[in-house]
Amino acid sequence: MKAKSARRPFRLTKKAFGIPYMLFLMLFVVIPLVLILVNAFLDSDNNLTFGNFKIFFSSASSLIVLGNSLLVGVITTLLCLVIGYPVAYILSKMSSGKIIVLLYIIPMGVNFLIRTLATKAIFIALGVELGMGTVIFGMVYNYLPFMILPLHTTLSGIDKSYAEAAQDLGADKATVFFKTTLPLSVSGIMSGITMVFIPTISTYAISQLLSNGKIFLFGDSIQLSFEQGMYGVGSIMSIVMLVFVLLSNFIMNRFNKGGNAARRSLW
Amino acid sequence: MKKSVYLILTAAVIACVLLPVLTACNNSVAGTGGRDRLVVYNWEDYIDLDMCDDFAAYYKEVTGRSLEVTYTTFDTNETMMTKVLKGDANVDLICPSEYSIEKLLLAGCLLNHKDVLADIAPQAEQLGLTFDGMSSLGNGDGNVEPDIMNVIRPMFGALEGSDGKTYDMTEYMVPYFWGTLGILYNTNVISEEELDEYGWGVLWNVQKNPLLENKILMKDSVRDSYAAAVFYMYEYGLLPEGYEDYSVQQLINCTDEPILRTAERILTEQRAHISGYEVDFGKDDMINEIVYADLAWSGDAMYAIEEGDYDEETDTYQLGYYVPSSASNIWYDGWVIPTTVNNKLAAMMFIDYMCRPMNGIRNSMEVCYTSAVAKDKLRQDEDVCAFIEENEYDIDEYFDDEVRYPVINETLGVMRDFGARNDDLVNMWQRAKSGAGIDSSLWWILFVIILGIGLVVGAYFAMQALKMRPRKTPSKSEDSKEL
Repeated sequence: MKAKSARRPFRLTKKAFGIPYMLFLMLFVVIPLVLILVNAFLDSDNNLTFGNFKIFFSSASSLIVLGNSLLVGVITTLLCLVIGYPVAYILSKMSSGKIIVLLYIIPMGVNFLIRTLATKAIFIALGVELGMGTVIFGMVYNYLPFMILPLHTTLSGIDKSYAEAAQDLGADKATVFFKTTLPLSVSGIMSGITMVFIPTISTYAISQLLSNGKIFLFGDSIQLSFEQGMYGVGSIMSIVMLVFVLLSNFIMNRFNKGGNAARRSLW
Repeated sequence: MKKSVYLILTAAVIACVLLPVLTACNNSVAGTGGRDRLVVYNWEDYIDLDMCDDFAAYYKEVTGRSLEVTYTTFDTNETMMTKVLKGDANVDLICPSEYSIEKLLLAGCLLNHKDVLADIAPQAEQLGLTFDGMSSLGNGDGNVEPDIMNVIRPMFGALEGSDGKTYDMTEYMVPYFWGTLGILYNTNVISEEELDEYGWGVLWNVQKNPLLENKILMKDSVRDSYAAAVFYMYEYGLLPEGYEDYSVQQLINCTDEPILRTAERILTEQRAHISGYEVDFGKDDMINEIVYADLAWSGDAMYAIEEGDYDEETDTYQLGYYVPSSASNIWYDGWVIPTTVNNKLAAMMFIDYMCRPMNGIRNSMEVCYTSAVAKDKLRQDEDVCAFIEENEYDIDEYFDDEVRYPVINETLGVMRDFGARNDDLVNMWQRAKSGAGIDSSLWWILFVIILGIGLVVGAYFAMQALKMRPRKTPSKSEDSKEL
């Protein structure tokens, strides 16, 4: 053992550059996750308990909040897809597409809190009543770029000769789109959906600001628990959310593989 | 294998070295550049910020050392308590409300001011400091209003700790501001008769004022919203059986299951009538007439009334503040020294400095809350009177204003710590905020989106089908001819 380690002195290899990030991950991702797991089994006096699970899973309200969040997530994702796909499609057709894409991406550089507060001010000025509608608007507005960007990347990466070939073979525009472009962009759709759905189910500030706290989503619920010092219940909610995040990631990956297979089977 | 062990070890070592260093930055009495530090943890908009600089100058004058005052804020007692109880707040001074002080004291997070004084006695003696403005050192009420101490002393004077000892909370806190909980309302929308008749019901829009519907704000603070719900139950006879005879003081501190359940139902019902919950933007929304009624603390209310419009012709203000005569809450916020204190001398000097009549009135003028400095001492102080007049107030009017100086009686309850029952209250609040069921509008939106997508896809297939038809029909007819 000794001789072996002596033969391999520390050298500045490629791996060494990964160490800072590894440390960062350990300190700010792995350790907090462990803390959440530990907290989930502790009551407010730091005794071991399963009571937190009972509090969370036995109350209808926490499931209502979870249901509301998932629905809002699904709706936001669908709306982003419906709005984002045509935009990404048109942009990928344009030669100057990249600059216009930038115009879509630039608002992302503005802090989302500022954007949301500005949206709220606009709604109030227009006399729109704050509620579910405004929350969903805010969500779509905030997460649309996350949908457009991967879609645009995929769509502009598709080889034009596929579409041309389809046209040569007599397909009309709609058929070309449905038989070549759409199947070829499935991977983009999937990554877009993942990038929108996962953050939306955990979002909290947008719903709180755009509904004056009346729409209470899962993220808000977690925040309230931690704010009130109920770390146990809050940790369990975080774990539940994590499970949903992992689950949706897993399903998306599955779909994505299926999508690739479909692409291959096309030819 | 070995490499990963080393990696984890180095990570652990680095963490062990880094963390104390990082926290040590906050810990030392001496801050950057050899200056002393004082970290104040207070409510938002709760002090005349110039006072921090003035205090630093005063500190330098007395001790000869310069001081860096760091002012940090919280928005509800609960946020602050969570931080302090988990040991995440490295601060020298906090200004919580009475029930919160009770909880922190019993959790062992606070220092007795007498003990603190004993620790710094040699220094204080050398500098000639007596701290006689403070009420917590056992030599009278200092500059603090005796009426306030007369409420706090019987209620919090002998708290039973879990260790069997009794604690006198008056030795742990010095009152700073005090006030009531009430309704801030728009005088153009809600009349005084309406308020007299419906009281707390106004926040539920019991009178069915069409202008008020969805234009009400509640506090996003567990205790305050619960108090309002309990007062509403008390006023409208909605209390569960067996609780009808409870006094306001008992009700505000009751967390029995039947009351919690009724409160949950009432707060859930209220959701249909209100605009939302706030802790910071209520004043602005009231002034800008985005909402017309807001559950508010007296100081915030007075601030909003002053900032709002005033019609000179009719002598009416845009906003008004109303404390229902049947029941309300009276609260006292005070300075406490947590166990995390690093600069005991500066902390004590700061509290004493805040108790000076002139500083009390300056803070009061800035944030509009009522200073806990004794009314008589303020009135007798010539500088204070000059300052009040300078700010265009009539002195008699200022001190006789019942919003500013409410009459303390049995209709005003004082909040106590709920102890272990607090979690039940928070769970109730979570349930009330999440509503009675999944928002039906969500299903509708989802339905509309899916319908839209379905229509597009359907249209595509319909078009396909249409295109197929003309091709097939001629071939079919040919076939039939052949046959």
